[in-house]
Amino acid sequence: MKPATLKDSPSSSITRKIAVLAVAFFAAVLAADAAVSRGFSHLLDAVVRIDVREESFDTGARRFTAGIGSGVIVSADGLILTNAHVASPRAVELSVTLASLERVNATLVGWDHWTDLALLRIDLADVKRRGLTFTHAKFADSDTLFPGQTVYAVGTPHGLTRTVTRGIISNNRRYFADNRGVKGYETGLFNTWLQTDAAINPGNSGGPLIDEKGRVVGINSRGYLGADNLAFAIPANIAKRVVADLKGDGEIVRSYIGIVPGALLDLESFYSLKQNTGLLINSVDPGSPAARAGLRGGDIVLSINGTPVDGRFPEQLPPLLNIIASLPVGSTVDLVVKRGEQTLTPAIVTEKLESRQGEEWAFEKWGLTVRKVSRAYARENQLDDDTGLLVIGVQPGFPAAVAGLSPGYIITKINQERITSLDVAKTLHAAFVEKPAPTLIEAEIHRRVSLYILKP
Amino acid sequence: MKKILRFSLLLVALAMLPVMAVRAADEIPVLFKARVKSVVAVEFFTESELDRRPTVVSALVADAAGTLVLPPGAINSYVPPAKLKDFRIYLPGRPASEYSSGEYLGQDPVSGWHFVRMAEKLHAHVTPVTAFAAKSGGIEPALGEEFWGIGLRGKDEDFAPYFMASRVSHVQSLPERTAIALAEIAAPGLPVFDREGAFAGIAIGGFGQTFVQYSRNDRGLPIMLLNTDESSVFQLASDVAPWLTRVPADVSGRPISWLGAYGLQPMDPEVATFLKLGDQSGCVVSEVLEGSPAEAAGLKDRDIILEIDGQPLPRFKPDRVVVTYFDRELGKRQPGDTLALTVLRGTERVELKATLTDQPRLLREAERTYFEKLGFTAREFVYGDGVVRRVKLAGHKGVVAHFVKNSSPAGTAGLRVDDWILEVDGTEVKTYAQAIEKLAAIEADANRSEFVLLISRNGETAVLRVKLK
Repeated sequence: MKPATLKDSPSSSITRKIAVLAVAFFAAVLAADAAVSRGFSHLLDAVVRIDVREESFDTGARRFTAGIGSGVIVSADGLILTNAHVASPRAVELSVTLASLERVNATLVGWDHWTDLALLRIDLADVKRRGLTFTHAKFADSDTLFPGQTVYAVGTPHGLTRTVTRGIISNNRRYFADNRGVKGYETGLFNTWLQTDAAINPGNSGGPLIDEKGRVVGINSRGYLGADNLAFAIPANIAKRVVADLKGDGEIVRSYIGIVPGALLDLESFYSLKQNTGLLINSVDPGSPAARAGLRGGDIVLSINGTPVDGRFPEQLPPLLNIIASLPVGSTVDLVVKRGEQTLTPAIVTEKLESRQGEEWAFEKWGLTVRKVSRAYARENQLDDDTGLLVIGVQPGFPAAVAGLSPGYIITKINQERITSLDVAKTLHAAFVEKPAPTLIEAEIHRRVSLYILKP
Repeated sequence: MKKILRFSLLLVALAMLPVMAVRAADEIPVLFKARVKSVVAVEFFTESELDRRPTVVSALVADAAGTLVLPPGAINSYVPPAKLKDFRIYLPGRPASEYSSGEYLGQDPVSGWHFVRMAEKLHAHVTPVTAFAAKSGGIEPALGEEFWGIGLRGKDEDFAPYFMASRVSHVQSLPERTAIALAEIAAPGLPVFDREGAFAGIAIGGFGQTFVQYSRNDRGLPIMLLNTDESSVFQLASDVAPWLTRVPADVSGRPISWLGAYGLQPMDPEVATFLKLGDQSGCVVSEVLEGSPAEAAGLKDRDIILEIDGQPLPRFKPDRVVVTYFDRELGKRQPGDTLALTVLRGTERVELKATLTDQPRLLREAERTYFEKLGFTAREFVYGDGVVRRVKLAGHKGVVAHFVKNSSPAGTAGLRVDDWILEVDGTEVKTYAQAIEKLAAIEADANRSEFVLLISRNGETAVLRVKLK
C-alpha cells in the first residue's frame, strides 16, 4: 500500500513528497483501525476471565488453591475454550467474568492436557435469568498464518482483566513438547505451537491470540518466564478439532504404540536414506506394542499406513505422531521400517494412550496424599509393574509422617495386600477409619524396600 | 584463619589445664612423643583422564613391616587401584621435603580401610600402634574417663603433630563399640590413647553436629557441621585392633564374600511387634540379585532376615546399624563358606542355606579405555551396571561412558557420563573388546567425519551422532 503511494508521488518537490507520505500514512492507520475496531469489539465481548478454585494433594491432605486464567467463548450456547492447565478435573469451582463484568459459574466439559486445552460451559440458565449477554469468537485458519503477521493477545495477565497486547507471529511451527508441562501431565507431543512476541504473562493462559480482524488464531498457553516475549499458543486449527471432540465425549482418546522419535537432522546419509524421508526411532517403551513388535532404538520408519514420512526436524515430529495418535484404539498401524540393510514391515495394534500422571487422593486419617503409579510412570522408573501409590505428601504429626514415610516412597502393600488400584487402598483406609488399628505398610524408594506401621 | 585455629587450640589446651594438672601433665609429653611415631601423613594422587588430584590423609602404623592404615573415606572405592599414583609418606614434624614412597596394598572389605606399605628406610622411625596395646586387652571406657589423641597440621606446617584430649560421654554399638567424647580427640584414622598411653581406639570421621544458622535473611536455618580434620568419636581398640592385621592379599582386596541380597533395610521395632516377633531384630531384603548365592539358596524379595547361623540378629540403636552388622558378618566369612539364614516370608519362618561366592567383578576392576580424539572413556559393563539398570544377566552387553570430556566430539554430541553404549555405527557391541576395537578403529581413522552411537539413559535409548570434523 505505502510503496505504491511512494511510486506514484512526483519526485520534483520534497515538500510535496512528505505531504503525500503523511496523507498515505493517515489513510493506512484509519483503514487498519476500522478493521480492528469492528473485529475487536466483537471479540472482546467473547473474552472472559476465569477464577479457579481447585484441589491440591501435595501436602498430605486435600487442600484448595486458587488461580486466575483467561478464556474465550466459542459458541452461542456458552462453550468456553481455555487451557487445560487453567481448568482441570481438579477444579471444584469455576467462576467466569464476562465482558459485561458480570460473574457466572461454569462447569468443566472436558480437558485434554496433550494439547493443553479445556472446554467449559457457562451456566446458561443463570445467564438467561439475569439477562446477560455475550458474543462468541470466530476461528481463523491458523495454517495460513505467516511469520511477521500482526497478532494480538487478550487476557488477564497477573489478574489485570481485559488486557490487550500486540505482537507478531514469530514462528508458526514451533516444536515444544514437555513431559510434565500441564500440572505434571504431558503436553505438546502431538501438535506444534505458534510462537509470538505479543506480551504473554501468567494469567494470559487460555486467552485468545487473534488476528487483526479479531478472529482467533490460537490459544495462549505458555511463555518463557524471564525471557523477552517468547510466548506460545496452540494453533486454532488444533483447537477447533479439540473443541469438537471434547464437546462430544469430554475426552480425547488417542492411540499409542510406544515409539519415541528423534529428529533425523543430517543422519540421512548415515542411514543411506533417500532425501527427505524417514522418522528416526530414538527409543521404544519397554512392554509397548512397538517393543512387542520388535522395534528398537535406531530403527527408521519410512512410512506409516502407506504414507511416506519425513521427520528430519523436530517440528515435523508432532504431526507424524499425531497420525498414529488419531487412529482408533485397537487399529492396526502398518509401518515400513528400515534397520541397516533390512526392511521390516510390522503391523502394530495400537493401545489407548495413557498419561504418566495417575489419579491423586488424600487419606485424611493417615495424613497421606498419593498418586497412583501409572504404567508410564512405572516404565520411566523401571518398576516391575504399575502396582503401588506414589507418596506425594505427608502431614506432620499424622500416622504416615510419624511412621517415617515421605514424598517419593511408593507404597506397594498395605497389611500385606498388594495395592493394584487406588480402590484397594481406599477400602483399607475406610477400615482404618472405622476401626483404627496398627496398619503395616510396605514401601520402596530407590529400590529399597522398608516396612512401616501406621499407628492410630 | 590458621591463627584463629591455633588460638582456639590454645584455648582448648587452657581449658584442659586444670584437669591435666592433676596427674598426667608431666607424663603426657613423654607419652605423646613416643606415640607420635605411630602416625604419619600420606599423600597420593588420583589420576583421571585429564588431571591428577592430590589427597592428603592421616594414617596409623599397623605393624612393624611398615603397613599403614588409611580410613575408608580416604579413597573412593570406585577408583581402580591402578589410578592411585605416587604415594608419599611424611613423618609428623619432619620437613615435608623429606618424604619417602609408599605402595598401595588394597582395601579390606570388612573394615573398609585402605592399606599402604611405606618404604623400608622409614621403618626404623616408626612404632606400630600395637606396641602400645593395653596389657589387660580392651576394657570398656568408664563414663567421663579421659582419653587423648593426635592431630596433624597441614603440609605447609610439615604435618606438625598436636595434642587433643577429652572425656567419654557415651559408648554405643555401631555395631563396633564406639565412644563419643565431649570434644575433638584425634584426627580421623588416628589412634586414641588412655592416660597411661595405652592404645584405646581409632578416631572415625563422618559425625556431624547440627547447628541452627541465623542470618540477616534466614531465621533459624538448621545446618550440619562436619569437622573433617578432627573427630570426637572413636571405635574401641577391643573391636577394631584385630582388623589391623587384615592386610589384603592382593591389591584387588579379594576375596570379597558375596551373598547377593540387595538393599537390606532395618526392620522397625514397631513392625516386629506387629509381626509378633517381639524383640527380634531383622533386615528386609529389597531384592535378591540374579545369579547370586542368595538366589541359589532360595531367598526371595521382601524376605526378612532374622537369624544368621542360628544367632538372632541383635537389636541396635539406631535400627539401621543392624544392616552394617549383617554386612560385617558376611565379611568375616570366606567365599565357599556356607551360611544358614532364618527368614520370615509373609508369616512363615523359612530356613535357608547359602554358599557364599566371591563378588562379581567390581566397578573399580572394570577395564576402561580413553579415546582422546573422540573425547570419552569406554568402560566395561560389569555386574553392578546390570543391577542399577535392572538388566538381566542375559542382557549384559555394550560399554558404559565412564568419562566424557567437555566440548569434545562425544560431549558435543550429547554423550553423558553413565550412558550405556549399545551400538556403534549401527552394529551391536556385545563385549567390551568388540566395542573397543570398533572405537579404536574410528579413533585411528583420520578420514572419519562422523560416527553414530545408540545409547541408553534412564531406560530410554537415543541415537547420537558424533561429528569428528
